[in-house]
Amino acid sequence: MITIPTLTTERLTLRAPALSDFDTLTAFYASDRSKFVGGPMTAELTWRQLATEIGHWQLRGFGRWIVDETASGRTIGMVGLWCPEGFPEPEVGWDLFEGSEGKGYATEAGAAARAYAYGEVGLTTLISLVKPANTPSARVCARLGAWHDSDFTHERWGALQVWRHPAPEDLAEGGMEAYA
Amino acid sequence: MSRVPDLFPAIPVVEAERVILRGPKESDFETVVAFEASDRKAFIGGPVDRWGAWQGFLAVLGHWALRGYGFWTVEERATGLPVGRIGVIYHHETLWPEPELGWHMFEGAEGKGLAHDAAVAARAYAAEAWDMAPLISQIHPDNIRSRKLAERMGCVVERESTVLDTPVLIYRHPDPRKERA
Repeated sequence: MITIPTLTTERLTLRAPALSDFDTLTAFYASDRSKFVGGPMTAELTWRQLATEIGHWQLRGFGRWIVDETASGRTIGMVGLWCPEGFPEPEVGWDLFEGSEGKGYATEAGAAARAYAYGEVGLTTLISLVKPANTPSARVCARLGAWHDSDFTHERWGALQVWRHPAPEDLAEGGMEAYA
Repeated sequence: MSRVPDLFPAIPVVEAERVILRGPKESDFETVVAFEASDRKAFIGGPVDRWGAWQGFLAVLGHWALRGYGFWTVEERATGLPVGRIGVIYHHETLWPEPELGWHMFEGAEGKGLAHDAAVAARAYAAEAWDMAPLISQIHPDNIRSRKLAERMGCVVERESTVLDTPVLIYRHPDPRKERA
């Protein structure tokens, strides 16, 4: 049976997407903040996206989590593993909602998702695909120890930078602290 | 690490005379891509490119998880091939009036009574297993084949409406439990 695990980090809880996330996602995808990650999009497409997130877990066995700030319960983003049609390989990605940037949340949740990918899913390498103009996301990649490895063009999203993450054995040697 | 056990309900298999309704399989995907790219999609928001087809394919699985019911793949018994999709769809309540019995058949699957066979089975299952009846079907006024199927199933036009900016007739099905009684 397929399940979506709940992960906890120092400040964050990564959990399964739910029907009740629809309004938060609609606000995010209606905003300019979503311009690097397929948006802006209508409520209809947002609904479809929410269902797609869950379907991704079912089809691939991994996917993206909704991230809550544990102390406040506030939903701050969507982070996780993503390998849609047309991707060269699975990526770890992070979308932060309004007012949640500048706190290291993408790095914290991204590291947890990557550890899950290597530990539970058994992936041996991981990338992040970043729009060239999305410098905040590239900075998160760098903070996680990833490097700009190559470039890739997606049929719908155009030119993307491929950031390659350290392999599981490299993380084990250096420890997470090396990239903090 | 805790786990959420109930997000993915087992999708029931429904047996009809000439078709089986089953959950989507990854092997259905290329057939769905061809359907989504074709003019057959004209009445229901298409055509859609490969990415859109993929998103929709996964969204069908996600709908089962979010709602506990959804769209089956219709498999023809004689060939074992996917010939269409049918089921109960209820997109977010701000987008959809109520749960709907929806269907579409893939290229070459018409004229054999497969859609009727599948639709009757799906409607009966929805009534008995989910207590969902009487259901609606939203159909574009120009979609004559689909309207004929609805009318053959005893549906009557309840009102005109629009869904996602598309004009539709809202057909109301009879409750199959009352028909039998």
